[in-house]
Amino acid sequence: MGSWFSAQKVAGYGVAAIAAVLVLYPVYFLLQAAFDVGDPQIRPPTAYGLDNFSSLLQYPQIMLNTLMVSLAATVMALMFGSLMAWILTRTNVPGRRLFEQLMAVPYYLTPLLGALAWSLLGQPESGFINGIWRAFGGEGHLIDINTPYGIAWVMALFEGSVAFVMIAALMKSMDPSLEEASQVIGASRIRTIMQITLPLVTPGILGAAIFVFAEMLGSFAVALVLGLPTRYYVITTAIYQMIQQYPPKIQVAAAMGASLFAVMWAMLYAYRRVVISGSYVTITGKAFRPRLLDVGRLRYVLLSICLLYLFVAVILPLGTLFFASLQKIAVVFPTAENFTLDNFRTAMAMNAVRSALSNSLLLAFGTATIGIVLMGLLAWLIYRSRLPGSGLIEYIVMFPQAVPRLVFAFGLMWAWVVFPIPIYATLWLLLIAYLTVFLPLGVRTIAGVILQIDKSLEECAQMCGASWAFRARTVTIPLLRPGLVAAWLLLFIASVRELGASILLMGPHSKVITPSIVESWFGTSSELTAALALIQTLVVALAIIVLVVVTRRVGALSVD
Amino acid sequence: MAELRHGNLTRRRMLKAGTGAIALPFLGIAAPNLLAQGVSKSPTNVLDFTTNADVAKAEQEGQLVFYCHENEAGTAGIMEGFNKDFPKIKTSYVRAQTGALYNKILSERAAGRFDVDVIQLSDIAPAFDFRRKGGYEHYVSPESSAYKKDHLSEPNGYFFWTGVDPAGIAYNSEKVAVSDAPKGWKDILDPRWKGKISCKISASGLQFVQWYTLRKIYGDGYWKEFAKLQPRAFDSRVQLFDRLSKGDDMITAIGEYPAYFLFKSKGAKVEFVAPPDGLVSTPLVVGAVSRAPHPEASKLFVDWAMSKRGQAWYQSNPNLYYGSVRTDAPAMPTGVKLSDFKLLYPSDWDEYASQSATFLKEWNSMLGL
Repeated sequence: MGSWFSAQKVAGYGVAAIAAVLVLYPVYFLLQAAFDVGDPQIRPPTAYGLDNFSSLLQYPQIMLNTLMVSLAATVMALMFGSLMAWILTRTNVPGRRLFEQLMAVPYYLTPLLGALAWSLLGQPESGFINGIWRAFGGEGHLIDINTPYGIAWVMALFEGSVAFVMIAALMKSMDPSLEEASQVIGASRIRTIMQITLPLVTPGILGAAIFVFAEMLGSFAVALVLGLPTRYYVITTAIYQMIQQYPPKIQVAAAMGASLFAVMWAMLYAYRRVVISGSYVTITGKAFRPRLLDVGRLRYVLLSICLLYLFVAVILPLGTLFFASLQKIAVVFPTAENFTLDNFRTAMAMNAVRSALSNSLLLAFGTATIGIVLMGLLAWLIYRSRLPGSGLIEYIVMFPQAVPRLVFAFGLMWAWVVFPIPIYATLWLLLIAYLTVFLPLGVRTIAGVILQIDKSLEECAQMCGASWAFRARTVTIPLLRPGLVAAWLLLFIASVRELGASILLMGPHSKVITPSIVESWFGTSSELTAALALIQTLVVALAIIVLVVVTRRVGALSVD
Repeated sequence: MAELRHGNLTRRRMLKAGTGAIALPFLGIAAPNLLAQGVSKSPTNVLDFTTNADVAKAEQEGQLVFYCHENEAGTAGIMEGFNKDFPKIKTSYVRAQTGALYNKILSERAAGRFDVDVIQLSDIAPAFDFRRKGGYEHYVSPESSAYKKDHLSEPNGYFFWTGVDPAGIAYNSEKVAVSDAPKGWKDILDPRWKGKISCKISASGLQFVQWYTLRKIYGDGYWKEFAKLQPRAFDSRVQLFDRLSKGDDMITAIGEYPAYFLFKSKGAKVEFVAPPDGLVSTPLVVGAVSRAPHPEASKLFVDWAMSKRGQAWYQSNPNLYYGSVRTDAPAMPTGVKLSDFKLLYPSDWDEYASQSATFLKEWNSMLGL
């Protein structure tokens, strides 16, 4: 008993210490800046006070805009995510495996590209959809993507896919016998969904809701592309302006970010209350064979929903970007001389982009692989171990999610620039930054699955004399495998598309791709940006396909 | 020797030097670089320009690290031009908007990191501040004789104007008839442009110059009238012209000539108006950084950038198209020289820099920030 307990303790506290250093070290610098009322150009601060926090009262409209857009986007994302997760994991809809793979596409397409595509489609004046509308005799515009709901729609499509991944992972791990029992005793399909399926996935959906809401609060690219034309500012676009201008208002931005900690903690507290008050275990010692719900002819309706979702979130944006990338100036009805391949030629010739793309893939692989171990252990520590202080770790882990990455990046920069080991301005710094900012994403994704595994399975192995490490390897990890694979892919994709932290932390020799694409949008043209984004999407898609194939082969070999 | 020619000792300069000296411990600078500059060897010719740098040493250093406000393509373009002429010197860069970039370099230096050789900023106000903090290396380029005193730091040797970004008014020619198009700066205040006019955000050095100079000419009320038009503000000139060429905006109050030329050459239906009062213009300033890891390469870059060769590169790169202030500058790709335009600058740069906070407050408030 003594040895396994020690191993558990060492692993638990070791990983907790790493997480605490990763998070609290930059948070310290961020809080220092939030209370810094001295000369913004001098570090460390020369005077402290609360002025930065009191100045936040000058921005009520921005706070209101942020809340409104984030709430609307979260609700939409959860609706899309839950519906699609249920259809693709719990019903016999045709082609569900293919659809499930395609669901990740909007996520790695990146919000910036989603926003660019929908901007090309839905601008009141130049939007392709409105151009076609007028060509058919319509007046004015059919859609306006620059409204708060337009912004929320694009955010939900391209940042909300994470809700699908989280909820789908939960639904995959759910024992279908509970639903079957409900139907056997005469409950309708709808009643089964409402009374069995939904309550079982409640903690996962709540976790996803908190996560997605925080993601929406920190969403930047969509609000930047679609909000600015109508002067609709949210916290991140306001912060962006504050830190770009000279002299930058970094202290106020830090105070704005720090005040979001309180919002995040309140939500986390509510989440923990819900999780503690109910039992959501569905993977038990009882063997079950996952069975899909036969929805009869309804499956063709569900298929239409899947097709429609993929059309608006994948096919239409990608098609629009491709169409735009072939033009000198993107318009809906181009003349022959407007077509060009120059955008692709220029994109392929950009050396910086080539090295940035390979750096991004390398970093994504490292972040996902190291992250899955670190975050898996953290999730286990928080939700399964009985080690004292594990609840506190969850609060610490959620810190980076509370602050927009544009601001958190300053904390990271100040923290690691003074660190005695020379990792500043190298890929190592970006790796550390990614592991830090994606802690909430990884832990939350894995936690949703851990919560469904009955503790008795581990306890049974423990009673049989298995050590903690042996139990983890033979019981916990195999049960977690679907969730871990989903989390790995999610971390990989999230790393490739990371923007906020990378902008500030990239060194002269450690460039990554997404900031380069944003730069292209700012500095070259939306047509060249479209070409760059399509190249990035293609390369990342190929990388993911290779990784998935290799993973399956290795998995098959290990089973043999 | 050039610093001696311009080196009259004034009260202001004494104060500036004093401020710089106070800042030295914060920036980890061991000794004033001004003193280190005392003895300089005679310039040598390289390619078709002159330099005080030791070219062999610079090539031995083998690297140049450049911090730049310019967009990715523009920054890469500058490095490409230098690297083409000096292939043995590997170039790398970090780019960000001036505010964030300047904070980054100050944070690094405060932490004792000196990784940068040369810095280019889009606003002269932080350049003054960096100079006061002792951040620039004092290096008088032999090429500076081709520049007017106004286009060099005071005293010469800290930074110089590597180019000028002039802006007038631009409009979409499919949406606005020539007869209706604005002719001067006052015309953009017409209420018919309400909700159809664009400008830049407060992070733009050029926008600051426009605010300052037009306020001087037309008074405080000018921008209050402008605010009533509910202008839409964007980061970059490309965004402004992208929207203009597609008809999302009808006119832009700050149509940069380089962007106009870029879009016009792509076939965009945009036109440019040069108001009689002049084109508002901002300098882009370049300087070698003190305690640079590659000091000879940084000097060589400054000389190259100041040279006719470097200026031609800056002027002809589509992602830059900066107008050159060199007295013998070649024409821009449009066939005109910068000197052909009437340019509007702040007459007193010190006063201009002191107005930074007022501008930020007014501009952000106008935009609802």
